Amino acid sequence: MFGDWHQLWVIVSNPDNVPVVALLFLVPFFTWFGLYQGVKNDRLIARLEADPELARTHHRKTQPYHPTWAKEVHVWPYLLRMELLVAIILTVILLVWALTINAPLEEPANAAITMNPAKAPWYFLGLQEMLEYFDPWIAGVVMPTLIILGLMAIPFIDANPLGNGYYTYRQRRFAVWTFLVGLEGLWIMLMLIGTFIRGPGFMWFWPTQTWDPDRIEFQANRNLDQLFGINGDWLRHLLPASWNAEIWAKGLFGIIPVALYFLVAAWVFYKVINATPFSRKVFGRMSLVQTVVMELLLILMLSLPLTIFLRLLFRIKYVWETPWFSI
Amino acid sequence: MASQQPPPTPSDPITSRSLAGWLLLAALVLMAALGWSIYQEEVGLRPWRAYQSRFSRVYSAFLEKRLAERQAAEKALQATPAYQTLRAAADAADRVARPLDRKIEQEVALADQQRAAMIAAFQTARSLVGTLTYDYSQIPDAPGDRSSKQSALRDLQQAIHERHVVEWPAADGTVSARSFDYDQLNAQFNELLDAKARLMQQRGQVDQPVKDAQDKLAAFVAQRLPGLNSSQLAGLLQSAQSLEYSIHQIYVNPPGKTVNYLGGGALVDRCQSCHLGMDPTLVPPSLTLSRADLGLAGSKNAPFESHSERALLQIHPLETFGCSTCHGGNGRALDSVETAHGRYEHWPWPLYYPENSQAGCQNCHAADAWTDYAPALDRGRYLFRVKGCIGCHNYKGFDDQATQLQDAQHSIQQLERQKAQNLIQVAQLNHLGDTATSNDLAQRYYADATNLTVRNSQIETQVDVLDSRSHDLLQEVKRVAPDLKEIRLKLHRDWIPYWLEDTHVFDPYAQMPQYRLQPDEAQAIAAFIWQDAVPGPPLPSQPPGDPNHGQQLLETRGCLACHSIGEGSSRMGGDYAANLSRIGEKDNYDYLVRWILNPRIRTAPYCPFEHRDLTPADYARHNLPFVFDLEHSRCPNDGHELEVQQPTVMPVFRLSVQDARDIASYLETRKTTHAYAPASYLDDPKWFAKGKALVSFYGCAACHEIAGLEDEGRIGTELTDEGSKPLDRFDFGFLLTKSERGVLPDGSRSARGSWHDLKGFFEQKLHQPNVFDTQRYLPNPQDRLHMPTPALSHDDIEALATFLLGSIDASQLPPEYIYSPAGEAAAIQKGWWIVAKYNCTGCHQIAVGQHTGLETLPMYQGENKANLPPVLTFEGARVQPQWLKNFLANPALSPTDTNRDGVRTYLQVRMPTFDLAPDEISALVSFFEALSSQPLQYMPPVIHPLTADETRMAREIFTSPAAPCLKCHMTGNPAHDQTATAPNFLLARDRLRPEWTKRWILAPASMAPGTAMPSNLFRYENGRWVFNGPLPADLQHYQGDMADLLVRYMLQLTPQEQQMLAGRASSGPGKK
Repeated sequence: MFGDWHQLWVIVSNPDNVPVVALLFLVPFFTWFGLYQGVKNDRLIARLEADPELARTHHRKTQPYHPTWAKEVHVWPYLLRMELLVAIILTVILLVWALTINAPLEEPANAAITMNPAKAPWYFLGLQEMLEYFDPWIAGVVMPTLIILGLMAIPFIDANPLGNGYYTYRQRRFAVWTFLVGLEGLWIMLMLIGTFIRGPGFMWFWPTQTWDPDRIEFQANRNLDQLFGINGDWLRHLLPASWNAEIWAKGLFGIIPVALYFLVAAWVFYKVINATPFSRKVFGRMSLVQTVVMELLLILMLSLPLTIFLRLLFRIKYVWETPWFSI
Repeated sequence: MASQQPPPTPSDPITSRSLAGWLLLAALVLMAALGWSIYQEEVGLRPWRAYQSRFSRVYSAFLEKRLAERQAAEKALQATPAYQTLRAAADAADRVARPLDRKIEQEVALADQQRAAMIAAFQTARSLVGTLTYDYSQIPDAPGDRSSKQSALRDLQQAIHERHVVEWPAADGTVSARSFDYDQLNAQFNELLDAKARLMQQRGQVDQPVKDAQDKLAAFVAQRLPGLNSSQLAGLLQSAQSLEYSIHQIYVNPPGKTVNYLGGGALVDRCQSCHLGMDPTLVPPSLTLSRADLGLAGSKNAPFESHSERALLQIHPLETFGCSTCHGGNGRALDSVETAHGRYEHWPWPLYYPENSQAGCQNCHAADAWTDYAPALDRGRYLFRVKGCIGCHNYKGFDDQATQLQDAQHSIQQLERQKAQNLIQVAQLNHLGDTATSNDLAQRYYADATNLTVRNSQIETQVDVLDSRSHDLLQEVKRVAPDLKEIRLKLHRDWIPYWLEDTHVFDPYAQMPQYRLQPDEAQAIAAFIWQDAVPGPPLPSQPPGDPNHGQQLLETRGCLACHSIGEGSSRMGGDYAANLSRIGEKDNYDYLVRWILNPRIRTAPYCPFEHRDLTPADYARHNLPFVFDLEHSRCPNDGHELEVQQPTVMPVFRLSVQDARDIASYLETRKTTHAYAPASYLDDPKWFAKGKALVSFYGCAACHEIAGLEDEGRIGTELTDEGSKPLDRFDFGFLLTKSERGVLPDGSRSARGSWHDLKGFFEQKLHQPNVFDTQRYLPNPQDRLHMPTPALSHDDIEALATFLLGSIDASQLPPEYIYSPAGEAAAIQKGWWIVAKYNCTGCHQIAVGQHTGLETLPMYQGENKANLPPVLTFEGARVQPQWLKNFLANPALSPTDTNRDGVRTYLQVRMPTFDLAPDEISALVSFFEALSSQPLQYMPPVIHPLTADETRMAREIFTSPAAPCLKCHMTGNPAHDQTATAPNFLLARDRLRPEWTKRWILAPASMAPGTAMPSNLFRYENGRWVFNGPLPADLQHYQGDMADLLVRYMLQLTPQEQQMLAGRASSGPGKK
């Protein structure tokens, strides 16, 4: 049943969901604002490049030059007063939030009854959403670890020296896009899905669809090897009798698409990072280790949306199934 | 873009811009937010403060008014001479006592001063000596420690003899230095304490006359002006005016589990923070506040009334029980009405709505059959039984005789098996003994065999006990609905399928709920029960009776205490049993006559061990006549107890055959012109198997006795703990979202918003049991919810919902809160179960204030109230237990002359014979005795025989024109007894308790308001009761208690004496 605006209102007005609703507005605004500043700077940079005289005297990169302006400004009062203003405004926002919406406490926990839907706090909803698509070992342990390590690795694999201390789009196009896809396209999107789309039974409910706990969803997923009918028959006579041919066959079969994906994706990313003369120059400065690490992180990041599409469009659960992990 | 002219110099966007405006604005907003948070802190989050300030205002105004009224009344009273006299007496006593009182007061003050003067020295000395004593005893008695031990002893003795100087005040006001050693200090200190105690006692004696006089004065005022006096009111006013904002909290931490089911926490109820009228420190129990008193009659938001049932608070003190224990709700919450009442999603125990408030009683009183002050709950329990809920739904404590019977029968079977095994083993052992290789061994085998034989006879004893218990239990177990084995004899065949399909069309008040059967299901069931029933033998044919007389009997004999007749507004009678309006359309006349004569008659006895009805052939095989009744209740095949009666609660009215025919004839006229479709298929065997499966499926055999299905169990959910089942366990089906949003199944809005709670579920389920199937795709009708629809009014549904809401898992409560009565109270509850089972309250008032079914009938209004059955509120105190036992077993009090009442033969309404089992009778006797607080062991007092003089005098009172006893009391003379309205005195000796009889003749109206028995027959004079009429000459000089005399006379009255007096009364002048 669509058109249930009351349901949408219940979700949006839930005290638990205040941060996510705020994200809906804040993320687009700051994305726009960051890009706006970046583009403005790009224009200034272009102007300075065209006018060496101006470039020599221009000090404040983020402002158009004027001779009567101060070349440098002090932190106090010019920065701190701004920060004070922001601190006050944020204090007011937090106060009003605390005054108007009570902490959403619930009944005493009862081990015999679980809530439905049972959702993680908003900042973990992306992780919970990943668990829908991946083996818990992958989604719960490997991916979060890689995300943290990858974020830590960024300063060490970034070979582009430009863009320190000012906003720019043109000079860091690759970094900006990687960020936008990774954070907003994936992480925040998963959070939004977890908040607005996942209803009772963690089923997929479109906005304005009634969250009916009795709903039954068609959900019969299969592994890629099942689609290809891999059952290990052809392998059985090659292996000792005590070995489980089916597991081996599936394990070996799964390597093929995964390896294929790694190769194709690596090639695609190679092409992308070498797309322009500028990016070629940056790439040229990277060591082999840097390149491999970056490629690996990018390939893994891309695997997330890819798996989601495989699941949602082709009902494929795992591409590579082994007794220890599944992908 | 390059421009020719230099642009005007813009000012520096950072250094030249001032943020002062923004900062000011932000600071102002911050201040506003801070102000708001302070407001929230003080008011917004503490809405109870507003209630308290409002309460203080209105309550003060109320008290001021009361106080002014009271002061005026007290002033007026003080002006009366009676008051003045008492006042003067009090003042005089005070004047006499004052000088001595003063003197003692001074002496006490001196003793206190002296004690204060020496206390420092006393404490120092005692502390020092104590320490040194300890030190000394810690040094061991070893030779090496001798010197240190001696030195410690020296120190100790020195401390004991050390002298302490005290500035000692004397009586004349001088202070002198006195010195004491340790022992003297001790002695002096104790002496001072003793002296003070002595003085205080003396002072009490001196002041006693003053106190007595003042008490007299206070008692005088309290009697003339009841209620709070002006100083008490002034005190209340003072505290109401200076009421400080504070949380009024009840904190209880009972041992064991916790109240309000909050795992781990204690009971914390802050309800009185808003409900200030419930706080006894503000509003004492003797003051009852209503909204009108406070001038808030129209306000919907003034929670200041007193508790509506103060007596309940006496039994359940607030400081122990709090509020939420009984009422539910979140007693801790204070931030809004909604959270405090627990009416939000996350509080699992919301406040009961007013119409269900008695659910709280059931929490702890689940074992009660009758709970005082809880009429709705009692009604719920009644309906649970009467509407047959109990047939399908198990509920612990309800009719557990059936379970006991099953247990007994299982035990018997187990013992029988054991016995059979033992017999086999005996044979084996004997054989082993015969073939044993040694004598010793053979002896051992034989001894074992002998032991087993003895054990078997023990088992037989056990079986005997169980059999006799089964005998009683078989008598006690009643089924909710009629025996279907006899329907071929009883019913018109065409009526059966109609009834199954249109139960509530035929009888809108039916106890049988309406099933939702497919037409072929109704046919199959009808055919099965028809073919399954006993075919005969045919009943003797009865000649027709007189319907008019029958109607009269039906309306006067008491049938309407349980049955109703008529429909709609013309309906009258009780709802305990069937409505008889259309009974002529269904019942066979011959069967009806037999039923009315004795509803317990069975066509064939049922053997629970063979699982079948016995036939004459079973008896013939053992050369026994086919006779079965309570005396012949053993199975000829296996020797165990049989079911020899119909398991119905309908009693025997001991009518003559002609009367039974008349009533049956009248009932046969109760019919409409409805034409029934012929049901010839009832004999078609093809339906049998399907019908049997359906009967099993729908659980018919839980209420009805059906051949072959006697042991079928209950098919419904057990409801003992239904009220504490988590909400998530209730299947609202596709109505879940609607229920959360307050939309009722019919699409209208629920008045109370969301009904996604237990109350909502119970109400909707009882209203339409399949409502939660809505929209479901269930093509097989048997997959649908098949709870049938009971015939319930809106109030009935609320009563049942109350009962279910209160039915919680008792293990969630601290055990000491659960009402588990002992002694008298236990006897009372046990009795109520029996009273409820047989609907005794249909005729009798048993509890004070309880209403009966009969008293509402048109034929018992006004004058005719005297025709109602007796009120039994004092039954236990009135009658002797042995007599009551006999009466309950045979209410005619005669083995032969049974077509009458045993005591009040003048009443039309008849006490029927219930065929109660022995332990039911003794439980009822204990019940009545306990209700009247009589000791459970009755020792009849000795009644001294009357001397000739006393007989003469008593006779004078007995026949005095002022108290013509025999005018109303029965005498045994049929002509007189027709107009009599009170029992025969000859019954009194065995029946009445002398102490009650005396109280009754002294003040009957206070025991039974409206009784025809005159009050004030005696007056109290010089420590004895004196006859209030003109005293006959003989009695002028009688010094004894005349009421006692009369009681003794009555209890020893002989038939001859009564006849003699009756003759005198009827012939004497002026007696009529």
